Amino acid sequence: MATTLAQLPAGSPVVTVDHVSLNYFNDKEPLPVLVDVSMTAGKDEFVALTGPSGCGKSTLLRIISGLNKASAGTVKIGGAEVTGPRPEITMVFQNFVLLPWRTALENVMFALSSRRELSEAQKKDKASKALEECGLSGFENVYPGELSGGMKQRVGVARALATEPEVMLMDEPFSSLDDLTAERLRKDIYALLINPTTSIKTVIMVSHNVEEIIELADKVVVLSSRPAHVAGEFTIDLPRPRNKKSPEFFSWVDKVYSLLS
Amino acid sequence: MMLALGLSILFALTIGIIAARNKRAEAVILPLLDIFQSIPILGFFPLVILAIYGALPNAIGINLAVIILIFTSMSWNIAFGVYEAVKAIPQSYVDLLDMSNASTWQRTKQLYIPASMSRIAYNTQTSWAVGLFFLVASEIITLGNKSLSVTYGIGIGATQFFSSGDYADYVLLIVGLILAVVVWRFVFLREFALWSEKYKMMEEPREQHNDPIMRFYSWVNQRAVSKLFLLAQGRGVNRFTSAISRFRKGLKYATLIFVAIFALLVLETVASRGPPGIGHLPPTSLILSTEASVAYALAVSFVRVWYVYGISVAIGPPLGIVISLNFKLYDIVSPILEVIASIPAPILLPAIVLIPILGHSSEGVAALVIMLASIWYIIFNVMAGVRSLPSEIKELPRVFGVSRLSAWRNVYIPGAMMGFVTGSITAIGGAWNALIIAEYFTVTNKNGTTTLLTQTSAGIGKTIVLATNSGNILTLTLAVASMTVLIVGFNLTVWRRVYHHVTKRYTYNR
Repeated sequence: MATTLAQLPAGSPVVTVDHVSLNYFNDKEPLPVLVDVSMTAGKDEFVALTGPSGCGKSTLLRIISGLNKASAGTVKIGGAEVTGPRPEITMVFQNFVLLPWRTALENVMFALSSRRELSEAQKKDKASKALEECGLSGFENVYPGELSGGMKQRVGVARALATEPEVMLMDEPFSSLDDLTAERLRKDIYALLINPTTSIKTVIMVSHNVEEIIELADKVVVLSSRPAHVAGEFTIDLPRPRNKKSPEFFSWVDKVYSLLS
Repeated sequence: MMLALGLSILFALTIGIIAARNKRAEAVILPLLDIFQSIPILGFFPLVILAIYGALPNAIGINLAVIILIFTSMSWNIAFGVYEAVKAIPQSYVDLLDMSNASTWQRTKQLYIPASMSRIAYNTQTSWAVGLFFLVASEIITLGNKSLSVTYGIGIGATQFFSSGDYADYVLLIVGLILAVVVWRFVFLREFALWSEKYKMMEEPREQHNDPIMRFYSWVNQRAVSKLFLLAQGRGVNRFTSAISRFRKGLKYATLIFVAIFALLVLETVASRGPPGIGHLPPTSLILSTEASVAYALAVSFVRVWYVYGISVAIGPPLGIVISLNFKLYDIVSPILEVIASIPAPILLPAIVLIPILGHSSEGVAALVIMLASIWYIIFNVMAGVRSLPSEIKELPRVFGVSRLSAWRNVYIPGAMMGFVTGSITAIGGAWNALIIAEYFTVTNKNGTTTLLTQTSAGIGKTIVLATNSGNILTLTLAVASMTVLIVGFNLTVWRRVYHHVTKRYTYNR
């Protein structure tokens, strides 16, 4: 699996969402949530997924992760169909979802506990390396309750990175942080995810913050309000690092906003 | 019992609100609540009866004693609920009232009482079970002085049927009790709890459709309406649905009437007690030697309570975790467990004695009775703890493909820890209470004689019962006092620390 993904040429799809629909069943009436959604996330591509609140963008992300099942359609990673959570996919949550009774290091090691081939010492090594990359050296033995929101999310990212994933899913990773913290974390995380040494092949981020999307994403998929279908898809070709004050940046922001409202 | 419940709620509201809004009162009331909640009230019962009966030697005196017993058994838990609810009111609501210069009564009416409603409803469910246990137990405890003992009541009825060999009647009575408990518990208390839902603060997530009984109602409503009356449009359907709601309303009133009759029976039971007879104080020179034997009995009981607790810990938490992780299993099993849990353990004791092997060992009987009176607190608190964990955190093991062992070690067991400790504290309290039944149990026959069903070699419960029977006030007082000191001391030193540690480390907040 890992080797096939590595051999893919740049830009070819890593994640393929193919005609995915989802219905909730309220009594007998099916309630459509997602209608025939198709999208791809290519190699070395940062894809943002947005839409009006409650439209089902997080649900789509959960279907991609294998946590939820679609009513119809398929999700493929490389060539393999996603039928449940897979080791090469990982997730960063809006509310961090750290274990409050475990230290930062133990929280990261928890994600590695399925890796039987690693010794306890190797897991510890990997975990502290991941924490260090996320700027948390010295905080290994601190409990989440004693960390600030931004630091908690860094632990969440370190936990995801430690598993050496190829597909990184992020569900509104910055939206429960204050603006300044989010700003710094965005820059750090982008640098961590998109660089030649990382195992990550593609990133899909759910967000409702349009400026954040234009700052980070190579491609943005806009969903309509419920029942959600793809309302638009743009490739954002602004050069990096992106200047948030440039008129080009604003015209992109406007373009996405007009589709959202 | 209704009177006691009403009094308890009134008392709980007053105390809870005062403690939550007044710092100085809080410093006094909280530790007191803590102590009252943890002492074995049943041990005080003989003393209370003797005291009140001494002052008011008539039916009113005994009524008062029983009401006080049930009241004390129910109040603390509800008072804690009110205190926590009022404490949890967001500051902005209090600010709002401050700005409108609301009077104390206005505040109480507009904010404190509504905010406490859902907790009162919830805690009443547990308090009710506790109260029932005390009701039955207080009937079964035969005071040595025959003229003081109960002549009729559900507890005494059960044991009499049993001792005279009317096993069919015994079983019938237990089935009747279960039915009464189910109807009361699931119709009245449940309606109360559901009604109080609307008083929840907006910030809290509302409990939706995870109540199996309510789902069953709506299932019946829908099926019946859609399938049977598919063709009958409009009025027919309306008439049928309104018939259903009338039926449900009727059921509620029927329950109320049933409970009223039940309460009357209890009162009659209590009223039928005879004139008083209080023993004389024994010479005080015996204090030291009495205390020595009391201490020995206390030590034996301490070991007994703890090994039974150990067994409960081995069974309760794993069971609770497994049940609450599986939605379907939870829906099926939790109502069944609730019903079993609400049968007061003392009433089952005669049947337990009949169990082969176990019946021959008074220790086995005692252990089972103690467990039946305590394990539920652990199971239900663990279940509540696991279910209140955010679904995201329960999903983590799946997200990271973690092994079952690691999931239990890192997520489920720590997640259940808070509920486990809260449940343990209550369970051990329940266990101490059960000792009085479990260690020495006699049945009053119809002809007024008594038969000893089971007795352990030693124990504080046995000491208390025997001392009551023989009117040995010195032993009784020393036994109750020593037990209280031990339990309160243990709570203040050991449990308090455990509780603080667990609240600090094992609660989930973002």
